[in-house]
Amino acid sequence: MRTSIKAFAAATALAALALAGCSSGGGDNGGGDDTTPPKVVAFTSGNQTPIGAWWVKDVEATAKELGWDLTMIQGDFDFQKMNPAVESAIGQGADVVFDGFTDIASIASISTAAKDAGIPMFAVDSGTEPNDAFALNITTDQQGIVDQTMGAISDAIGGLEGKTIMVIGHDPHAGIRMRSELAAEAVEAAGATLAGGEIQQVVSPATGRTEALALVADYLAANPNGLDAVWVGWDDAALGAVQAVSEAGASAVVTGCDATSEALAAIEAGTMLATVEQPWPLVNASVVDAITAYLESGTMPSSNFEAVATTLVTKANAAEITPSDKLG
Amino acid sequence: MTSTDNQKSPTTTSIVVGHASNAGRWMLQGGTIVALIVLVLFFFLMRPDVFLTFVNVKNILYQVSILAIIAGAQTVVMVVGDFDLSVGATSALAGATAAAAMLGGWPVPAAIVLALIVGLLIGLLNGVLVAYLNLSAFIATLAMMTSVVGLAFLVTQGTTLFNFPPEFNELGQGKLFEIPLPVYFAIIISVILWFVLRYTTLGRRWHAIGGSVEVSRLSGVNVRRARLLAFTIAGFVSAIGGILLAARLGSASAVQGEDNMMFSVAAVFLGMTIVRSGAANLVGTMVGVAIIGVMSNGLNILGVNAYVQQVVTGIIIIAAVTLSSLKHRER
Repeated sequence: MRTSIKAFAAATALAALALAGCSSGGGDNGGGDDTTPPKVVAFTSGNQTPIGAWWVKDVEATAKELGWDLTMIQGDFDFQKMNPAVESAIGQGADVVFDGFTDIASIASISTAAKDAGIPMFAVDSGTEPNDAFALNITTDQQGIVDQTMGAISDAIGGLEGKTIMVIGHDPHAGIRMRSELAAEAVEAAGATLAGGEIQQVVSPATGRTEALALVADYLAANPNGLDAVWVGWDDAALGAVQAVSEAGASAVVTGCDATSEALAAIEAGTMLATVEQPWPLVNASVVDAITAYLESGTMPSSNFEAVATTLVTKANAAEITPSDKLG
Repeated sequence: MTSTDNQKSPTTTSIVVGHASNAGRWMLQGGTIVALIVLVLFFFLMRPDVFLTFVNVKNILYQVSILAIIAGAQTVVMVVGDFDLSVGATSALAGATAAAAMLGGWPVPAAIVLALIVGLLIGLLNGVLVAYLNLSAFIATLAMMTSVVGLAFLVTQGTTLFNFPPEFNELGQGKLFEIPLPVYFAIIISVILWFVLRYTTLGRRWHAIGGSVEVSRLSGVNVRRARLLAFTIAGFVSAIGGILLAARLGSASAVQGEDNMMFSVAAVFLGMTIVRSGAANLVGTMVGVAIIGVMSNGLNILGVNAYVQQVVTGIIIIAAVTLSSLKHRER
């Protein structure tokens, strides 16, 4: 019995020493020593989306290339699971936290853990406004997206004034919420009527296409030829609106956002007017550059927020665009 | 003598009580159908120019056709006294399987058969877990739902599959006499399920098991085999729903139609209130499906906010379950 207790104590001591050895070098600030690879804790809740899945692969490839000691945590939109896992990884020592496509509103505890540990957090598309939680967050210009899509609608229907336009959004998604609010403002500012009197909400992104289809089909049943355009915050739901318009034999034009391969095909086929390409590979590369600068010299970005320009995709350029679901 | 007279001629109080009790029973019995009629009348009065037009009725039928099929599958399992929480996920996986197969070069009929086999196998596995390994249907089908969603993500690789052959899309988007094909499929499948449940030995056995497993066993019913068959058929029928949904949307994703599970259970509960026994029944389920469809369409037409619609839907489901439980207590 005593022998086994001694053996257990010895094993525990060895394990503790090994763990202490493993964890040494963590928690260094930027410009850490040359012998240990920088520790980067990366996470995304959107790994089951095509863009999220691409981001995971891209960051893993980048880590391999740059010699990062990467911990990648994939949350499956389950913050109860993801947040403690990220906090635990931060607690074990890290130099940088890297957030991919996870809204700041959902990761307050991670932000606190990183702040407490004195580790800067860099992000791709984590919120649509500047936030002190980040050393840098680069996203896309939501106002630009609205200007581009509304401009396309205006050109297609001969101006917005006096027209009826439905705006379909999904409030739980920060980007879609912001751009659909901006779209509704643009509709009203141009003297057009917002169909239904408010932004039409899709409750779940998983059923976004069928929900948008029903919203537009029911509106057109009640108001035959009563729609001039449907502005939708993302392509999957936009494709539902396209189908509803086509089934009703209506002439309303539809725009989306994301430049998915299916939306690009619909634009080329002439059933959808336009979508918007958000340059995620460029955005990610810029954030990686900022992380590299910090790790090498401790240099922090001059600004903690950047909104980059997007590209309007119409029939004229759809063939040249890389679909967002085919990035990886 | 007096007492005999009293028995022959009920007092005013007893008449009133009798009427009240009859009214209560009538409310319990016919509440769901009354609710449907009231909803139709309400929306018709609010928008007489729109609600009962051919275009809008066709819209409602089109919108509920897939749900009707999946709710039919759920009815079979609930007749036996179980639940199947994996029907929505099974339908999504079946749609994704057919889509992936077609994009991989399979002919449309072969892809559809493959998807149906996938649905059948999931149902069979559910049946084995519940009937032979005695797992709770709730736990077994919940776990199955989780795995099936994962499989669907693997099949679709997290993307939305599209660009199917036109003959496949025609199944979901084609029309016959101006009525979309999924409506016909929903009617055909519902009639078949209704016939099986009402007029076949298997259907009677399912009802008997739903009434009392022990009595059924003692009466010589092979309870395990009957439950296995119920789950297998539910998987198969859910797969038909998923294939039609993929054809209707012209695309397939891992989480497509995920609300069908909840709405199918709600439809069955709504339908359970219309029969005296309070048991799951196909006709009742279709009334439940109609209520869900009418409500969603009517509220959309009135421009009611989507979040308010969700609250109202939940309240109606609670009301239906309450009615159903009152009926059980009455028995």
